[in-house]
Amino acid sequence: MSRFLFVVPPLTGHVNPTASVGGELLARGHDVAWVGHPGTLEPLLPDDARIFPAIDDLLEADIRAKRERWLALRGMAVLKFFWEEFLIPLGHAMVPGVSDAVARFGPDVVVADQQALAGPVVARDAGLPWATSASTSAELVNPLRTMPKVDAWVRDLLHDFAGGDIRFSDRLVLVYSSAALVAGEFGEEVAFVGPALSHRAERVDFPWDWLVQRDARLVLISLGTLNGPAGERFLSQALEAVGGLDLRAVVVGEPRPAPPNVLVLPSVPQLALMPHLDAVITHGGHNTVCEALAHGLPLVVAPIRDDQPTVAAQVVDAGAGVRLTYSRARAADIRSALESVLDEPEYAAAAGRVRASFLAAGGATAAADRLEKVVAG
Amino acid sequence: MDEVLQQVAKLITEVVGPDFLLGVEITRDTTFSDDLGLESIEFVALADKLNAHYGVDLVAFLADMDIDEIMAMSVGRLVDHITARV
Repeated sequence: MSRFLFVVPPLTGHVNPTASVGGELLARGHDVAWVGHPGTLEPLLPDDARIFPAIDDLLEADIRAKRERWLALRGMAVLKFFWEEFLIPLGHAMVPGVSDAVARFGPDVVVADQQALAGPVVARDAGLPWATSASTSAELVNPLRTMPKVDAWVRDLLHDFAGGDIRFSDRLVLVYSSAALVAGEFGEEVAFVGPALSHRAERVDFPWDWLVQRDARLVLISLGTLNGPAGERFLSQALEAVGGLDLRAVVVGEPRPAPPNVLVLPSVPQLALMPHLDAVITHGGHNTVCEALAHGLPLVVAPIRDDQPTVAAQVVDAGAGVRLTYSRARAADIRSALESVLDEPEYAAAAGRVRASFLAAGGATAAADRLEKVVAG
Repeated sequence: MDEVLQQVAKLITEVVGPDFLLGVEITRDTTFSDDLGLESIEFVALADKLNAHYGVDLVAFLADMDIDEIMAMSVGRLVDHITARV
């Protein structure tokens, strides 16, 4: 049996795939631990998960405050803030905790989320092999390729921090997607395992009675953290769009007035809800998109920032959804996009093809197989 | 008003939709990032229109800029680039 240490930032979407892969490794009898922010990790990991601290509550609160400022930015300022004010400082801040976890746990392999830069640095210094957990597939296709000077700026930041481009391990890069969504030629070390959804703990309640009350199509509207006024605007337009339709919608968001066919909840057990859904409206977070496609659900995607435009383009190219402009789409646009993906069978058929590619990719089982091979050398 | 500026403002309005520019006058100082909040797909649409109208390659123009220049990129700078090319 072997020992695996997952290094993760305090971001749900980045913890979730590791919860699944780690759960699979635990089920196989390996020793598994996580290092990050305990308060973020505990609700998402198996009950008996071993957790080491690298981020205390003060730093986590600071990160959330920074995030608020970051959400108000637009255009290239988002990228600059993300690297200079978030990723690099987080990397520095996590090094002591990750070093301590490595010393105490003694892993055979370190599995670092792509946004936990401390992982590769500490692993390398300890002479340990490390793998990348790429919670989005966007970095693989390098969205900055058309802006070489910006791309070079990112690489310089990484070189200053770590002496190299540690976004990608040369041993193993786990990508929770498949060739049905991500075009290109990649090295042997890049493993497209599809979304890792098994062994996931969802500790959020849901009023399941609400679902069985009436036979109508069900849509999930999940926009991640709302992005200031633009987020409020899109959500109110989306509520207006679904209000007039013969369907029901679950909206993830803070309580607000909504039409009678809409249920607004601050959080939902998204995976458990998926089998009941007919379509998903989302900002294009990689996890939500791939979870929906893993259930063969067509999508309406209104990307906001980061990897979301890339993910939205993947969905459109695969034929599995319609893309909207987040800051400008109106109720009529949202309604028409939603009616298209619900009523035109091509979208669900395309989503079904992506689903088949995900099933073939193997999910957490395939990821665990590949990680075991890293130990074997 | 400069003819190129007028045309570029028209193309931007077509991409963004007139409803979203109410009260925003597009001048030389208007920035793409902060003032217009142009989304990536709108940028691609604008690049297509500029290429069709002037034969100007917006992607190549940006490829030469560093991150601070792209953040500060204004309508005036694009207009000067087009004027120098056509």
